[in-house]
Order: sequence, then structure tokens, then C-alpha cells
Amino acid sequence: MNEQKTEDGQDTVVALDGHQLLPQLVAHLREHRDPLRDEWASRIREAHLLEAMTPQEMAAETTSVYDNYVEVLETGSVEALQHYARDLSERIIPRGVETHEVVGIVLLLRDVLARSLFEKYQRDFPLLNRVLDAYEPAANRIANTVAVSFVEERERVITQQQDAIRELSTPVLPVRERLLILPIIGVLDSERARQLTEQLLRGIRTHRAKVVVIDITGAPDVDETVANHLVQTVDASRLMGASVIITGLSPTIAQTLVTIGVDLSKMNTIGDLQGGLEEAERLLGYRVTRTEADDAS
Amino acid sequence: MSAGPALVSILRQGDTLVASIHTALDDSEMIRFQNDLVHQIGEHRARGVIIDVAALDVLDSFGSRTLRTIAEMARLRGATTVIVGIQPDVAYAMVQLGMGRMGAHTALDLEEGLAYLSSMRNRRRRAAP
Amino acid sequence: MGTRSAARRRDSRNLSWRRAVHFGAGRHVCRRPAPSSRATTGCSFGGPGRPAARMVTAVTSGAAAEKSSEPGGPDEDVAALIPMLRRIVGARVGQHPAAEDLVQETLARVLAAKDRIEPGMIEPYAITTVRNLVATMWRSDDREQRNRHRLHDPNEPHDIEDSVVATEEQSAITEALGRLTEREREVLLAHEVSGRDTRSLADEAGSTAGAVAAQLKRTRARLRVEYLLALEKVEPPTDRCRPVLLALSSADRRRQRELDAPRHLLECDLCARLSAPLLGRGPTREDEVHVPITSDPDIVAARQAARELAVRAGFSGTDLTLLATAVSEVARNIVKFATSGDVTIELLTQPQPGIRVVARDTGPGIPDVDRALEDGFSTAEGLGLGLPGARRLMDEFSIVSERGRGTTVSMTKWFDKKG
Repeated sequence: MNEQKTEDGQDTVVALDGHQLLPQLVAHLREHRDPLRDEWASRIREAHLLEAMTPQEMAAETTSVYDNYVEVLETGSVEALQHYARDLSERIIPRGVETHEVVGIVLLLRDVLARSLFEKYQRDFPLLNRVLDAYEPAANRIANTVAVSFVEERERVITQQQDAIRELSTPVLPVRERLLILPIIGVLDSERARQLTEQLLRGIRTHRAKVVVIDITGAPDVDETVANHLVQTVDASRLMGASVIITGLSPTIAQTLVTIGVDLSKMNTIGDLQGGLEEAERLLGYRVTRTEADDAS
Repeated sequence: MSAGPALVSILRQGDTLVASIHTALDDSEMIRFQNDLVHQIGEHRARGVIIDVAALDVLDSFGSRTLRTIAEMARLRGATTVIVGIQPDVAYAMVQLGMGRMGAHTALDLEEGLAYLSSMRNRRRRAAP
Repeated sequence: MGTRSAARRRDSRNLSWRRAVHFGAGRHVCRRPAPSSRATTGCSFGGPGRPAARMVTAVTSGAAAEKSSEPGGPDEDVAALIPMLRRIVGARVGQHPAAEDLVQETLARVLAAKDRIEPGMIEPYAITTVRNLVATMWRSDDREQRNRHRLHDPNEPHDIEDSVVATEEQSAITEALGRLTEREREVLLAHEVSGRDTRSLADEAGSTAGAVAAQLKRTRARLRVEYLLALEKVEPPTDRCRPVLLALSSADRRRQRELDAPRHLLECDLCARLSAPLLGRGPTREDEVHVPITSDPDIVAARQAARELAVRAGFSGTDLTLLATAVSEVARNIVKFATSGDVTIELLTQPQPGIRVVARDTGPGIPDVDRALEDGFSTAEGLGLGLPGARRLMDEFSIVSERGRGTTVSMTKWFDKKG
């Protein structure tokens, strides 16, 4: 497939001229590999790109990128190119590298190499034109492919992380006997709200909980759907014999609940988590007293 | 009731009736259960009623409403009803169905139900004199 | 007393005397529930003066029976049976080539057993024997036919009376064959009776073997339908009946869906009855359950069936309970508001795994569907139909209701998560 690709379309131009020119060009880039790479690296530093990396990492990455780049110029293989781009992305995404940085460094490399070709062939203007005609489309294609691959890879990683977070993000915490805390952190969508409720209900049975504190301080927006879920969670917990205290209810969320017709007087709501825990302990019959030992520590 | 394994059982423990549903009941069996139980509440002058539904994998609108009715009739006869053993999935389905408010106290299991009734008794006793 | 036990010992394959005589003469018990038209023809053998009637005499009044068979020696006794046996056989098998064989076989058996038969009991013994022989013959014919191609599918005759049924079946088959087009009949008979293969038939018709096979399949499906109609001696009341029965007979699920066959079966008593032997046709489907709903216990059966199907498909979690609860609600609607209906639970694989529930009834219909679906978020009372609740429990929900005709609720639960 890749062979076919390189034999038609845009690549034909490269291949035609490249018959004589590309090997020459590639040989030139290989020959001046070290100075060109250093030039590139210093341009990267000047542009404040890839600052998340240490100098050693930079040196290693720029070398490998440079070599790959030249190899792709030489073979013109799309597959190798994509492979290289995905590899690169996989390595640098965890370093916190942003899309603009990746595009930036690839364009810088393109320019550095173009300039070196210009210097080499400037005496023969027609030849220079042909060299650039061969080089530019190939270089642009590399830049393009790298950028696209990077974005795709980034999206994949993000989805993966979201899934992982989702699995981790509904902790039902047994604080003490018969008391559970369910801190809701982050955006609540319908699906997550549902998972949360199911997990809580199972938790109530496992821990034989009598009181549950749901803390929504960390939930930025609670829309109507989520508010409905919240009401359902309270009702379902009650059916299982557990009382629910909701803490961290912002005035906006309280407003939403009232708008959809929730009778807040029937819900046990308390301003902050601390107060909620105290109320929970009261319901469970605990009396919290401060001892001298606690004061001392 | 017909022969075969009992679908429900109603046991008396002091002034408390413990009614357990052992298997899925159809609507007429449910009604019969309601009548039996309400009858026995009157007969034994029960002060507390526990209905254990732990064996039910579905409590639909009819089932929920019947339990609600029993609780209401028990209240009219001076007894407190506690429904115990609603399974997590069943509880979730009930609120989805719109049957989230039972009109009766609910507890995790039989033990909790009995504990609740005895706390109610103590409170009454304290309030009485 | 002695007679009875002797006979029982002798002919242990058959029914005891008492039962045989009682059934044979007293009333014609047709094993399958038969409409009146069938009952009259089926029971016409027991008229006065017929052999069956004489049998009653033979048993209930021993003196009279002895009188009738007393004269002459033992062998003459047996020979005297011939006209009667011919009548019996003739009434059952008509001009069947085996008719005389049956008579002779009966005589041979009676002769062989004669020493052990008490005087006066020879005639009843012969009658029972001949009836059994006829029944056995039909039975083996039936089996052969069924094994050949399942042209029709009668239950296995066990009782002597089934011979009567068998005769009717034979004439129904003949009638059904007559209702096919000439071309259909020719091809079918060439294939089934003369044993020609589809290839040679195709060559003859300038067609392909596959096309001929498909045509044969359609013809057999039609024959089954026409046979059932002929057996009942009825014409279908609506013009939807035949297409629906045909779709069932050919196990064509797509066509059944197009015609909304399940609803038709609910609405049309005749088709509901006739379709019974057709419903099991086609490969049995593991991924579909059908629960007829008429009373309370069916509600429980329906929701359990839904849960079981879902579990068998590998689903788990809270969704199972939501599904079962929703099924419970729609099934109860049928019991509460309609006379009869059914719930079909079907496994879906496209576009993702799921369960579809279709509840159909022939009730009065819901005058205002929108209102039936209304409720406040937490009241769920609405019109008391439990529909808004069921809708919330499922992922997809739709109602089609026609006044006076009934209601169809379709709802789907998707099981996209691992659960």
C-alpha cells in the first residue's frame, strides 16, 4: 500500500526529481547531522519549546527525531512516518508536551534543514529550485502527519485517562462504623451519577451504613438532571434504611433543586462537610468530646 | 392458602409481628398477604410490624403501593411498620419508577428493624409519663 | 369379569375391553379439542345399527349378545364376521388398497385367539382388533409422512379414535392439495411422491435447483395453511389471516414483522387457534421469549422470563432489575385494562447489545397516550398505568394505541456497559 502511495500523486514529483536529487539531499543532511541538529536544538530553546524536558532528554529526542526525519525524507514511506510520529507522541505526551510545541519543533527542523539546503545550493539557482521543489512537499507532509498523529494520540490518552479517573472517582469511604462519606468531585454527568448511586447503595449494604454524607463541594455544576439523580440517591438510600446528609450545597445548586420542585426541608442539608460529619455522629448517637491528649498533640 | 412451601410467613414476637415474604408474589397473593397481615395486626393488637422483603428481586408499583397501604392501615390500628431488606438494585429501580417514598420507615435488615421498633417504644415510654 | 381379564391378558397391546368398548360406543372422544363441525363428522360412526352400537349391546346385555353369535360352529362364527369387518374397515379407510388386508388380518387374529375367547365375545373382540389395526396403519402412515417432509404434523395417535381423526386429516390434505395451483401441485407431488430431485425438476422448468427448492418450500408452507383451514372447514374471516398464517408457516420472521403477526394472533381467534402447530416452525430461537398474559401470575412469569433471558445473554447488574420491573409494569397494564395480550422479550445485538420488550394487548386502547405518560417526577401516579415509571426504567419507549383495538408498548434497554 505504501509503495503504491509513493509511486503516485504528489510523491511522483519527489520521486522524479528525487531520482537524482533526494539521495544527494539526504546524504547532505546525514553528513551535517550534528551541526544541523545542534542548530535545531538551539532554535528550540530560543523559541522556549519543550521546556518540560531536561537538556539530556532534549539531546536524545532531537537526535532521534532528526534521524527519523531524514529517513522519512529518504524512503518517503507514509507508514514509517506515522509510526515515527506516534512513537514520538507517546514519548512526549506524558512529559506534558502541548500540541503547539510539537508542531513548532517540526516546523523549526523543516526550516533549519531548508536553510542549510539553501546555503549549499545557492550558487546554482535552478538547481536550488528543484531541490526545494523536492524537499518542501515532503517536509510539509512530515509536519502535517506528525501534527495529526500527535493530536490523535493525545485524544486517545485523554479518553483512557478519563475512563481510569471515572473508575477511581466514586469512592465510598467508610469513615467510622455505620457512616459513609461520598465526596463528589468533578463534573457529574448522568452516567456517572448513576454509577455513583449504584456504588453507594451497595456500599450501604456492605458496610451496614445508617448514615451517608454526600459532599458536593467539589462538584462545580449541578444541572437539573444531576439534581434529579441526587434526589433519587437520597430516596434510594432511605429505602435501604440509611439517612443521607448533603453537605457543600452552594446557593446556586440549592436554587436548582428548588426549581425542579425538590422540597429541601425534606432533605437533610448542612453547609459544610465538618458540620455534616458532626450531624452524622449525632444521628448515630456518638458524642464527640475533646480530650486533653488531643489538645496536646 | 394452598399447600406447598409457604409464600409468606407471619410470626408474632411479643407485640411485634414479623412478616416475611419468601418468594415473588403475584398481585392476588400480594392482596391476600395484605389482608392476612392487617387482620393479624388487629387480632394480636400489634404495636410494631416488620415486613421483610429481602427475598424480592422486584418491587414494582403494585408491590410498593401494597406495602404503603399496609403501613397506612397498620398506622390506623396503632402499629408502626418497618420495611426491611430492600435490595440495592430494587431500591434503585423503585426510585426510578417514582416509588421512592414508602410512607413507612425502612431499615437495612430484620435486626435493624427490631432495633428501630424498640427505640420507638422507649421513646414512647419516656414520653408517656 | 372373567372375559375382561382374559381379553386383557391376550391382547395386552390394546386397551382393556371395557375401555375400548366404552370409548368406541359410548362417545367419540376426539383427543384434540375439536370445533363442532369436526365433532359431528368425527362421531358419525356410532349411529344406530352400526357395529359400534351393537358392541354396546354385546357388553351391557350379555344375553342378547350370546343370541346374536350363538348359531353355527366356531369357524362359521368367524366367517360371519366378514361383512361386519368390511363395513368397519370401509367406513374408516374407504377404498384404501389395504382395506381387504385389514379384514383378513383381523380374521387371522381372531382365529388364533378364538380358543381363549369366551362365547359371545368374539364379535366385540374382532371389532376392537380391526379398529386397532386401522389405527396402527394410520399411525405408521402418519409417521412416514411426517418423517418424509412434515407436510402436516398431527400429534401421534394413541387411541383408537384417532383413526377417525386420521381419516379427516386425509381428506383435509386432499382438499388442501386441491387449493394449490396446478403448477404448485405438480411440482410438489413430483418431488414428494415420485421422488424427483430439485435439479431434474429445475431442468424441466428451465429454472435452477435453488429456485425450485424455494418454490417447494413456499408450496409446503401454503399446503400446511390450507390443510389447517380445510381441517377446520372454515374460511378465514379477514384478508390478513392467510398472509399471517403463511408467514408463520414459512417461519419468515421478516414477513411476520411486516404483517405484525403477533398482534393479528391476538385479535383473530381463528388464527390464534390454527397457528398453534405453526408457531414452533423454523429454527428455535434462543434469543426470544413469548409470554401470553391473561392473569396475575403471568405478570410474574413475564418479568422472570425477561430477567432469565438477560442473564443468559450475559447481562448483569442493576439493569436487570430495572428491566424486570418495567416488564412487570407493562404486563400488569395488560391484565388490568385488556382482556388478553402478550409480552415478547427479544435479545438485540445491533447496534449494541440490548433487550427489547414488546407488550401487546387487545384492550380498549388508551384514549390519551400523552396524558398516560404524564406524571410529576416523584408521584408516578399519572393515570395509574405505571407507564411513566416503565419509561424511566428503560432507555427507549414508545406506545401505539388505537381505540377499540388495543395498545402496543415497545421498550428497549441497552446493555452497553459491562454492568
